[in-house]
Amino acid sequence: MSLPLSKQLWRRKPIVFQHQHHQGEELARNLNTFQLMMFGVGATVGTGIFFVLSEAIPKAGPAVLVSFLIAGIAAGLSALCYAEMASAIPVSGSTYSYAYHAFGELVAVVIAGCVLLEYGVATGAVAVGWSGYLNEFLVETVGWQIPHQLSVSPIPGPDGEPTGGWVNLPAMILVLMCMLLLIRGASESARVNTVMVIIKLSVLLMFVVICFSVFNAEHFENFWDKGVIGISAAAATIFFSYIGLDAVATAGEEVKDPQRALPRAIIGALCIVSGIYIAVAAAGLAAKPVEYFEQTSSDEAVLSLILKDVTGNEVWSTVLAGGAVISIFSVTLVTLYGQTRILFAVARDGLIPKRFLEVNPKTMTPVFNTVVVSIVVALIGGFIPADYLWDTVSVGTLIAFSVVAIGIIALRRTHPDLERPFKVPGYPVTPILTVLVCIYIMMGLSAITWVIFSCWIALCLIWYFAYGRKHATLNHYVDPEEIAEPGGRKLDDE
Amino acid sequence: MTYLVGYRPYKDDKSALELACQVARSMPDTVHALTVVPRGWETAAGSHTDRDFVAWAQQEGEASAAEAQAFLREQPEVSSTSTWVTGRSVPAAILEQATALDASLIIVGSGPDGPDGRVTVTSKTGRLLHSSHVPVVIAPRGYRPEPGSKITRATIAFRDDDLTWQLLDRVAEICRRVGTEVRLLTVALQHQSMVTSPVRAAEALVFDKLLEQVHGAQAEAVTHLKGLGFDPEPLVAEGTSWTEALAGVPWAPGDVLAVGSSSTHQLANVFLGSSAGKIVRNSTVPVVVVP
Repeated sequence: MSLPLSKQLWRRKPIVFQHQHHQGEELARNLNTFQLMMFGVGATVGTGIFFVLSEAIPKAGPAVLVSFLIAGIAAGLSALCYAEMASAIPVSGSTYSYAYHAFGELVAVVIAGCVLLEYGVATGAVAVGWSGYLNEFLVETVGWQIPHQLSVSPIPGPDGEPTGGWVNLPAMILVLMCMLLLIRGASESARVNTVMVIIKLSVLLMFVVICFSVFNAEHFENFWDKGVIGISAAAATIFFSYIGLDAVATAGEEVKDPQRALPRAIIGALCIVSGIYIAVAAAGLAAKPVEYFEQTSSDEAVLSLILKDVTGNEVWSTVLAGGAVISIFSVTLVTLYGQTRILFAVARDGLIPKRFLEVNPKTMTPVFNTVVVSIVVALIGGFIPADYLWDTVSVGTLIAFSVVAIGIIALRRTHPDLERPFKVPGYPVTPILTVLVCIYIMMGLSAITWVIFSCWIALCLIWYFAYGRKHATLNHYVDPEEIAEPGGRKLDDE
Repeated sequence: MTYLVGYRPYKDDKSALELACQVARSMPDTVHALTVVPRGWETAAGSHTDRDFVAWAQQEGEASAAEAQAFLREQPEVSSTSTWVTGRSVPAAILEQATALDASLIIVGSGPDGPDGRVTVTSKTGRLLHSSHVPVVIAPRGYRPEPGSKITRATIAFRDDDLTWQLLDRVAEICRRVGTEVRLLTVALQHQSMVTSPVRAAEALVFDKLLEQVHGAQAEAVTHLKGLGFDPEPLVAEGTSWTEALAGVPWAPGDVLAVGSSSTHQLANVFLGSSAGKIVRNSTVPVVVVP
């Protein structure tokens, strides 16, 4: 018997945990605040800062520093809200899974759409940026670069000028290399993360120090010229660079004292990340005027190019390009991984075909899922210029975060007795402020971004009504084990 | 038919001979201990060093064959012979002899460098595994079964793919002849979640699904084996690494582990790593590698 549409759209997934426990399933509460903070820094730095200046500075001028601050505040507040949501609904997965449990199927589908944009497109965008740094690194080390036709997308950017490119091959190869690693079951461990954090912070710090040595205060004149609109538009683009901070929030179960450690880790990571971002932006502006950034594109290794100009030799720019090539590789791996696992969670709920759930008996990883995701992401990276990608990622993430912030207010009212190992400080001001800041940033997004986003969400809903609605696991489960979570804390009120 | 045992001189490890006798007690056949010594070079060298080398090799071969024969003579219930041959490559010589003797099994030890009680695939054994047309049995280093004991149970390393389904039938056929019980062992590994990914317990999700698949495939395999007259015990080794998963598997005296060698294909090794290889290296009981 099928459920009436109105009921099915708001049907929430009950939280049921498996009775049996598998070996190694219990999460050890063994992380401290510092380690958690490093996860946040490791997951965040690298998604955007290496490329975002040539997109953001033309929009906001020198006031881009304020945009970085606003985007950082939004990301930090969102991460705090996200942490409460993750702690109140202790299921595996991400925002999509929490939404399904807290708000029902319709919201979950919309959030799934947002999160797929966030990770899928982010991976493509990061791969495009990587391509620029790889070429720069090759030019400066072996004096050869991948031909222009094979390293630039054929689609013209927003300026409409032909690119002369056929395909961004390095971006596609990067995604496919990450695919092979993920199929093999590779993972970025805490140790690798630490190494990556050191590499990223070192090269960025080097950039800051060198650029400040040629500080030109004139570049900061007419600070507010681009106005509030420019600042919010730049913040929307920059917001992309803060994706990953929410990694801290989902680690709440592994930390000794979440109520104390989580906000400290989130705020600590945010301070480090914002500090380094603002320093990099200020250093870029100190070395080059706003006009310089208008002429460069985010497909180019802008930080390396600045260093080369400033120092007059290629040593420092080569070091920076090398650091970027290594660390952006790991960022691509992590975001691609996130995408495959979110899709896995969606497939488990029956909203996409079960083939995405198949685990290969040899590699013990979801191979079909990984291959499909990688091919789609590789096509995005290979054929769409980064200019179109950044804002699309930001809008998905901002919407998802706003829903989470509204969600925790709703949950506090509908489920006041729910056990929450972590509660957002300053409730209800924090979630309300989160929504307001997110809305402010979203106001800066261009009309085309909203059109792309709306089309994508409409596609997701069409898919849901055509396929997901009929195949949802909840339609035909009789045994709670069918939808049982693999592990976690039991809820009393469910 | 015969069981061909690769026996090395100077290695204080009779595990291959011990295992061969145990197999022969379970399924009577002749044990043929073979020692391969280096072949001399054909061109005459100064000071007759070539002839000296040939003489030395002959002496070594004879001593080794005699040593093996002395051991085998102590096993009255096992019929045995012992020889030595010269060869440029040990695996090639063993394979040549296996064909000449129409051997049904090749039995080798784990070499002197691996850990005690574990199976080690030496480079020579590796060559054998890739080229042999008959099953190769590898004894753990220092393997010493109870005197007079037999092989009582075969544990089949089962993975739900075409290769291991074929293995199932082949091992079942051998087990029927030997009269041993059968177990099905599948390894399920939980990969590590990416610490910096904001997807919580992602690998628990995947692992959960993997277990569901494994149990389903094992149930199917159990039904298949029941149709062949066995009553197999399904076993899932769970863990975060091969060593951890296989450490939890209970073993009894008389156990052997059967794995398929097709999955140790070199191309698979290069790109994906070999699951069969990992199972073999973590085994504490003799391993039968079925081609």
